[in-house]
Amino acid sequence: MEQYSVATISTEDEAVLILRAQNGERNAFSELVRIHTRGVFNVVFHLCGDALIADDAAQETFIRAWQNLSSYRPQTPLRNWLYRIAFNAGMDMLRKEKRILPNDIDEMELHDERSGPETLVSQNERVRMVQKAVLSLPDASRAVLVLREYEGMSYSEIADALDIPIGTVMSRLNYARKLLKETLAPKLTVPAEADYVQTR
Amino acid sequence: MSKHVSEWLNAYYDGELHGHRLQAVEEHLAECESCQAELESLHGLSDLLHEVRTPELVSPERFVSNVNLRLPHKQTVASQNKVLEFGWWMIPVGLLAVWVFVNTAFIVSNILTTASSLGVLSGMSDWLATGPASNVYLSTTVGQMGVLDGNGLSLAETLETFTRMSLPQVSLQISIAVLYLSWLAVWWARRMRREHGQLFEG
Repeated sequence: MEQYSVATISTEDEAVLILRAQNGERNAFSELVRIHTRGVFNVVFHLCGDALIADDAAQETFIRAWQNLSSYRPQTPLRNWLYRIAFNAGMDMLRKEKRILPNDIDEMELHDERSGPETLVSQNERVRMVQKAVLSLPDASRAVLVLREYEGMSYSEIADALDIPIGTVMSRLNYARKLLKETLAPKLTVPAEADYVQTR
Repeated sequence: MSKHVSEWLNAYYDGELHGHRLQAVEEHLAECESCQAELESLHGLSDLLHEVRTPELVSPERFVSNVNLRLPHKQTVASQNKVLEFGWWMIPVGLLAVWVFVNTAFIVSNILTTASSLGVLSGMSDWLATGPASNVYLSTTVGQMGVLDGNGLSLAETLETFTRMSLPQVSLQISIAVLYLSWLAVWWARRMRREHGQLFEG
């Protein structure tokens, strides 16, 4: 699991901060931003595949959260609520940046037509291919995959965050992984083996 | 060998299976190489996905400051949404109120008409005690022209009276029903869209 998970704060302390922020205290909201920055950034980065876009989307997430804070209900953990906003903000940002992103991504070839151990790609190339494969997933499936793989959320937390039934979480995750396995099949090799081949 | 458990392997891998299902999957995995290989590929995929690292934010403090600078002064959107949401839920309530009002009005009207025809309201003012005679002028005209007479004319008068009394009520009921069903259809569409991942803006 990555280091970008939820910052540690007790539920009670967070509830107090939320109440204060709901009453318009900007300092309390800043504290909430500080706590959830890494988690939100992690989610939007893996959704968008670009650090600059993710930075914008993360900022947009917190601005929307501030604007809608009075509609937040404590039955949902703040993290889940923020991730739902982050998903929407990320998708909007991607649509806005569409002119730039596809060209960058299309430069990468997903399927390596060459065969044989000599052609195993380098670590960087592999990372870019994985990123592209994730980006090519349908939005709804990508969101579920990102929350599960990079945020380590349980199915019920994902269902809560995305406001969908648990069965839908399962089917989208199955679908996303199935597509990724098909796309990345040639790369599902042990990295150590690839590195060894490269050094030859 | 038991049936393959491919559909449950993701949930098993994610630690989301419990009880009998978990036991069934474990038992199958112990004897099925194909499912074992599939489970192994999930491990491989996860490892591959985690090769993509999230970059460090250049300065988390600066990020918080940037957010702070961009925050609008008032939290206004939520209250607007609340009003819209309240209005949305008031539509069926309003339609129900109109339906109750329309039905009450027609029931009272029917009672008054019946009472009037029975002569119970003879002492009341003319505007209230409307008789059925005023409702059959079309049939009367047809009768005067000689097109209908006798039983035919009497049937036409009855039909005209019934139509004149019922048509507005039926039309209003149908209109209210159509509006209510439209609201229900939109509500259902919104619900389905939300379930299929078209998430509402936070």
